[in-house]
Amino acid sequence: MLDGFEILTTSGIVLWRRHYTPISSSLIDSLVRDVFIEEKQKPGGGENGAPSYKKDRYTLRWTSAKDVGLVFVAVYQSLLHLSWIESLLTAVKGLFIKAYGQELKAAHTLKVNTAQWDPTFDALVNRLDTGSTRRQSDTIDSEGPTELTPPSSSAGDDADEPPPVPAPLFRKPAIPIKRDDLVGDSTSTDATPIPTPDTSRPATPGHAPSHLLTAKGGPGKASRRSRKAQTFNASAPASSGDESSPGHNLKGGAKTAAKGKRRWDVDGMAIEGDDDGVLDYSAPATPGPDSTERELDVAEVNTSQMGSRTGKGQFVLKDLDDEVDAILASSSKPQQRSNATDDTTGSGLLASASSRLTSLFRNVVGGKTLTKADLQLPLQQMQTHLLSKNVAPEAANRLCQAVETDLLDQKTANYTSIESTIRDSMTKALTRMLTPTSSLDLLREVTSITSGQGAPARPYVISIVGVNGVGKSTNLSKIAFFLLQNHFRVLVVAGDTFRSGAVEQLRVHVRNLSALSQREGVGKVELFEKGYGKDAATVARDAVAFATNKGAQPPGGSGQMLYDVVLIDTAGRRHNDSRLMSSLTKFGQLANPDKVFMVGEALVGTDSVAQARNFAKEFVDTKGKLRNNGVGMDGFIISKCDTVGDMVGTLVSMVHATGIPVVFLGVGQHYGDLRGLNVGWAVDKLMK
Amino acid sequence: LSAILVTLIFSLTLPILIHTYLYKRAVAKELPTFLLIGPSGAGKTSLLTLLANGTPSPTHTSQAPQTATCQLPSTTRSSEDKYRSENDTSSRTQPSVLLLDTPGHGKLRHHAIASLTSPTSLKGLLFVVDSAVLSSAAGLTETAEYLYDVLLLLQKRHMQGKTSKGPLAIPVLLVANKQDVFTSLPAGLVKSKLEEELGKVRQTRSKGLLDSGIGMDDGGEADEESNWLGEYGAKGFKFAQMREHGVEVEVVGTSTSAEGEDEGRGRKCWGWIGANV
Repeated sequence: MLDGFEILTTSGIVLWRRHYTPISSSLIDSLVRDVFIEEKQKPGGGENGAPSYKKDRYTLRWTSAKDVGLVFVAVYQSLLHLSWIESLLTAVKGLFIKAYGQELKAAHTLKVNTAQWDPTFDALVNRLDTGSTRRQSDTIDSEGPTELTPPSSSAGDDADEPPPVPAPLFRKPAIPIKRDDLVGDSTSTDATPIPTPDTSRPATPGHAPSHLLTAKGGPGKASRRSRKAQTFNASAPASSGDESSPGHNLKGGAKTAAKGKRRWDVDGMAIEGDDDGVLDYSAPATPGPDSTERELDVAEVNTSQMGSRTGKGQFVLKDLDDEVDAILASSSKPQQRSNATDDTTGSGLLASASSRLTSLFRNVVGGKTLTKADLQLPLQQMQTHLLSKNVAPEAANRLCQAVETDLLDQKTANYTSIESTIRDSMTKALTRMLTPTSSLDLLREVTSITSGQGAPARPYVISIVGVNGVGKSTNLSKIAFFLLQNHFRVLVVAGDTFRSGAVEQLRVHVRNLSALSQREGVGKVELFEKGYGKDAATVARDAVAFATNKGAQPPGGSGQMLYDVVLIDTAGRRHNDSRLMSSLTKFGQLANPDKVFMVGEALVGTDSVAQARNFAKEFVDTKGKLRNNGVGMDGFIISKCDTVGDMVGTLVSMVHATGIPVVFLGVGQHYGDLRGLNVGWAVDKLMK
Repeated sequence: LSAILVTLIFSLTLPILIHTYLYKRAVAKELPTFLLIGPSGAGKTSLLTLLANGTPSPTHTSQAPQTATCQLPSTTRSSEDKYRSENDTSSRTQPSVLLLDTPGHGKLRHHAIASLTSPTSLKGLLFVVDSAVLSSAAGLTETAEYLYDVLLLLQKRHMQGKTSKGPLAIPVLLVANKQDVFTSLPAGLVKSKLEEELGKVRQTRSKGLLDSGIGMDDGGEADEESNWLGEYGAKGFKFAQMREHGVEVEVVGTSTSAEGEDEGRGRKCWGWIGANV
């Protein structure tokens, strides 16, 4: 059953909450953070209107009202499948806004008096609650086999909370909806529906034996019978799934075909003359009209039950029924608001000319309510502009969608045209996408390792990955130079054991860097290499062990680490070469780097999205979880930015693909040409 | 004659009607604004509801800024009453203030930065920190970096303002929230820890990489001194160093969910707000 329901504002204040069981507040916090702010989930990914988010065995479904700035969240256990949640959310949204919309639209409202809302919500839940079904296809590893649970312990028994109405009435399973859920459920992890029927159809006695029959698989007659029972079983759910006549017609059609159905009796002899009623154990005798009748019965009992409470309660519910019906009916129809407003403009030459003039006027003066048609052309222009700046089409599309949902049905400000409104909104969306959640301060992290309290366990390990020829070795030596200037001792590891000349290239860099550092008397840099042909992962592990090197010090040594930072270079690899990409996983696990940076060049086009995604999903730790909170890598280094001028769209594509922030920009071929990312500068260049 | 009378009445009452209509809808004079700022999870929205309503409401992570107008409680003395005696019995209304709460999440900090740089009548800044999270290194770093950015912005605002009329100095109240949590640090320790951490952040920022916006297009004044918080070249950082830039930092400890006396919960904050109105 429902575990909790909350109504909160976009500024975080909870206007109303109902918790049936204790829910920790961090659940909704993480929903807000992951979905609304960081946008880790694709918007609109759920079934018709109420997207879902899963965390910690809970599923959260929500809907939002942009004009008053409210979010409605429903929380329930992931094991259950409550199909009535969408209608509950829609109904609650409609009723709440109707009741409190005026108060909320006034400025500075921090709370509303929600005393009247409690009974309304209870009534709504009772009306819409059609029970829950335990999702058997959702295999939880820790649970045992759920198929053999006896029918009596069907869905809803884990909710021990005292509901506001008599409980048994609402444990009734919903037959018509359930089958669709199990078969067409996009959120269930297990795609193959189990042919055994649900436990919530306990009435038919024939199921228990057939259930057991399918489990066995002995030879001979018994198996043949079980196989037959299986096929009957498999066809029976299918026929009961669509209760309407086509299902039955199908069966009837099969009956009247040239090959009739065969039934076998106990002795293995064929029985002539079949009896649909005996075979079809799944549905009751007349499923079609009966189910709707049953539903009506339920509703009827509802209202009389509610009505008997108090006079006031009855009055409220009657209104509620009409309102809720209206809201649900209107939400299921496609939105035709914009068409409606178009229809209201008069026909005729004069009316159309005057409407065009007023729209032009409004475009200049502002105060125009934006419709989909208004936004379409300027958004397309904006998308073309982004594409011309080397942003991948997928990323440009997503940004334009975000702007559209943001601006739909909003009024333009005074004296701003639609184009400038869209520009503002796009700048905000770009800024939000490019700004990292927490900015990386490499110096601080390394300093905390070296000068931290106690003896540090190992040096700070950074590894660089990327496709061929993007500038990994060059940017690695730039980072080494930067760290040397800050007096760290750096070990450069030649992890590229494949390409000829890779080790020599790094040797040249290390020679230059050590000459530079000796001149200024700061830092120490060395190269660690094991030649060509070895496995890069073992080379990396040996290098880290060498740099840590505690025990091998001569007596009297402080037992300190030999090096503060270890920089590991890797071989360039194509992102679609699965063999090479899988070797990255082993590399990540053996070397266990603190930071993994991927280098992407600013010149690359749409390929950047695929590159970023493929590289990010390779870095899995031993438990199978992506490192760094589930994103995989720690940052991007975009190289060769001086060659592209204004067209820095690769930044956006790579961040869009993975959610990983850009940490450095490479702007030249000298050691000092490394910069951090300034989001304002990047957005300016993109919008220029 | 009646026509003259009608015209006279009409021409006299029409301007008055227009005047009342226009001025009724006009915004009243700007209220003094106080900005609530701080890392995510510090308790800013909670503090806002406490100060506005008297009791805190449950909250979640903020996605958007929120404003609230509230009047100083009757027990607080405001700066307007500086020269009044305690026993003055003349009735006076307490001034109202506008509290502006901003989201603390890294991606949404532009709201706070925009409010800081826009020329509203910002009278003070409440920087709310979670005293319990400061005992861990990661929480301390995040808080210190945000505080560093905010203080640097105030310093630059003050320095750039010297040429024109000059913006008024904005005092900062460091609110060490969640004092009721067992692992929270007391207010004095919060202050010293943050000072130490700000010194380290100052050090690494000065040696860090340049921004991509500098030095690529034109020369750019990579002015070291302008990015150095407080006293240039000083070894450690102290909040007193900000005084020369007109930023006065004070530290108080509060708790929005203490079970103590109801009115006393926001008392220290109100006291400071009243003194700086």
